[in-house]
Amino acid sequence: MNQPTDFLYIAVILMSIGIYGLVVKRNALRLIFSIELIANAVNLALITFSRMLPSPQGQVFVLFSIAISAAEVAVGLGIIIIAYRFYKDIDITEYKNLKN
Amino acid sequence: MIDIFSTPALVTIILGSVALLIPIIDALNKERGTKNKVYSAIAFGALALALVVVIYRIFSGENLPALSLTNTGVIADDIFGAFFSIAFLIVSIMVTVSSWSYMKKKSNHAAYYSLILLSSIGMILIGYSTDFVMLLVAWELMSIPTYALAAFNKKDPISNEASIKYFLFGALSSAIIILAMGIVYGLTGTTNIYDSIVGMSQLNADLIPFGLLAVGLFIAGFGFKMGLVPFHMWLPDTYSGAPTTIATLLAAGTKKAGFAAAIRVIVIGLIALNVHWTFTLAIIAIFTMTLGNLGALTQKSIPRILAYSSIAQAGYILIGLAVAPYSNYGLDASLLQIMNHAVMKSAAFIAAAGVIITLAAYTLEKYKGLGFRMPITAFVFAISLLALAGVPPLSGFWGKYLIFGAAIDSGQMIWWGPYLAIAGVLNSALSLGYYAWIIRKMYMEEGENRVRQKEPKSIVAVLLFALGFMIIFGIWYGPLLDLASMAVPNDLIHLISTK
Repeated sequence: MNQPTDFLYIAVILMSIGIYGLVVKRNALRLIFSIELIANAVNLALITFSRMLPSPQGQVFVLFSIAISAAEVAVGLGIIIIAYRFYKDIDITEYKNLKN
Repeated sequence: MIDIFSTPALVTIILGSVALLIPIIDALNKERGTKNKVYSAIAFGALALALVVVIYRIFSGENLPALSLTNTGVIADDIFGAFFSIAFLIVSIMVTVSSWSYMKKKSNHAAYYSLILLSSIGMILIGYSTDFVMLLVAWELMSIPTYALAAFNKKDPISNEASIKYFLFGALSSAIIILAMGIVYGLTGTTNIYDSIVGMSQLNADLIPFGLLAVGLFIAGFGFKMGLVPFHMWLPDTYSGAPTTIATLLAAGTKKAGFAAAIRVIVIGLIALNVHWTFTLAIIAIFTMTLGNLGALTQKSIPRILAYSSIAQAGYILIGLAVAPYSNYGLDASLLQIMNHAVMKSAAFIAAAGVIITLAAYTLEKYKGLGFRMPITAFVFAISLLALAGVPPLSGFWGKYLIFGAAIDSGQMIWWGPYLAIAGVLNSALSLGYYAWIIRKMYMEEGENRVRQKEPKSIVAVLLFALGFMIIFGIWYGPLLDLASMAVPNDLIHLISTK
């Protein structure tokens, strides 16, 4: 049967993929994906902890966390759409008006 | 259960209802987007009412606790939170009133003021929260409106770029904070801050590395908002690219909210785990001060200089947090400096906003001869720069004096305390280099002409308020210091040493 620790390993793997994406990719959407992967890995870990302990607080925490990430991504996508109108591109290396 | 008449609940209801009311009024209005002054006045009224409520609750003799460590609910009605609320509300009021002039020629006023109010609620709730879930919700309530506000000049690619950088680092910082909270929850089985700190102090030896990982992640997550040095790369770009009034809100408001969260979680949590790890904070403080000041020396745009100077100021405040376990008044001094810095930095940024409205001038070169063209703005700008540098008898002096005093005082218990004070004093001298340079440009050099410009009225009003604050609380600093020491429990050190 599945052990709770298996889910923790999956969470660590998801998080590693997220960090890899943050470091390597330069597309704004992929960066948002990577950040979401990290957040969702934590959500998975929180649910696992909540099952292992056991205590219900972790699951409530995850509900809040999911709602908040959704709001955050909505604002972020809005900003990226405006950027696309200016540059016709969402590669963040293009955005360098502000270097001095 | 949350008491509906506790300060945080009352303030949330006042600000929240007005924040939702403003867009509704705008939607019902036939000529949409033309009522800048009305919305500014409504938002100002709500913030002023909230400020009155907070101050009344402190002095109404209800004996609010200082920093309620042992609270088991999600928010605690204590003086620590009230102190931060006063700072945030003063900053929000200054931003709202100065937007009266700044937003005159722009669109979407209703959304602008509504988002400022929502962000203020988030900042205030961070100061009061005693539970990780509440802290996370408040943190995001503070952050998400500011992402939209930073991109508020929709037609301006620079504002958009500033917002993208801010959003990516902000989203990363909240992911890191959730990760840290998840680890703490896994280790201790609770989301209450006090219970989890108690749990962390009783960890098995083989789990302590995970505890330290969580504290490190908290430092990183909050450090992004505070602008501590390895996490500061977004800050100059965002502060200079965002609308200048919003840069005020970021530099003076959200940065201080990071400190409120840091004191609630890191300082006390770190001490519970292993007191020697405050050395990490000391090293970060030294790097933050030095790199902030060196960065400011090389900049040519005024908002960028102010942004780097706010990085340096975060370093000074962090000294107080680093020596908190060893000195009786480390945290008091930090709180005093937080309040002073909120007003000084707002005054400097709003003066820059006034110059941008009137002369459309961003660079240092264009500030030549400003003392004759915009006398009031230039005078308050000069005073706020001197206060930021810590020149007596302005308000910034006492904060720095007490912080360095606390660092020297902590030398009785740790060897590195006095070195922090030395680094701080050297950095103050270094910072005076670029502050004095700006003042010299404004008064000693000849500009394009000496024609006196018409200065925006609401910005002059805000600047005169800030001038009064800086001079009155510079000479008569007692009340602010008393309030700061009321906010920190006297027995914090004993609580920690007997853990």
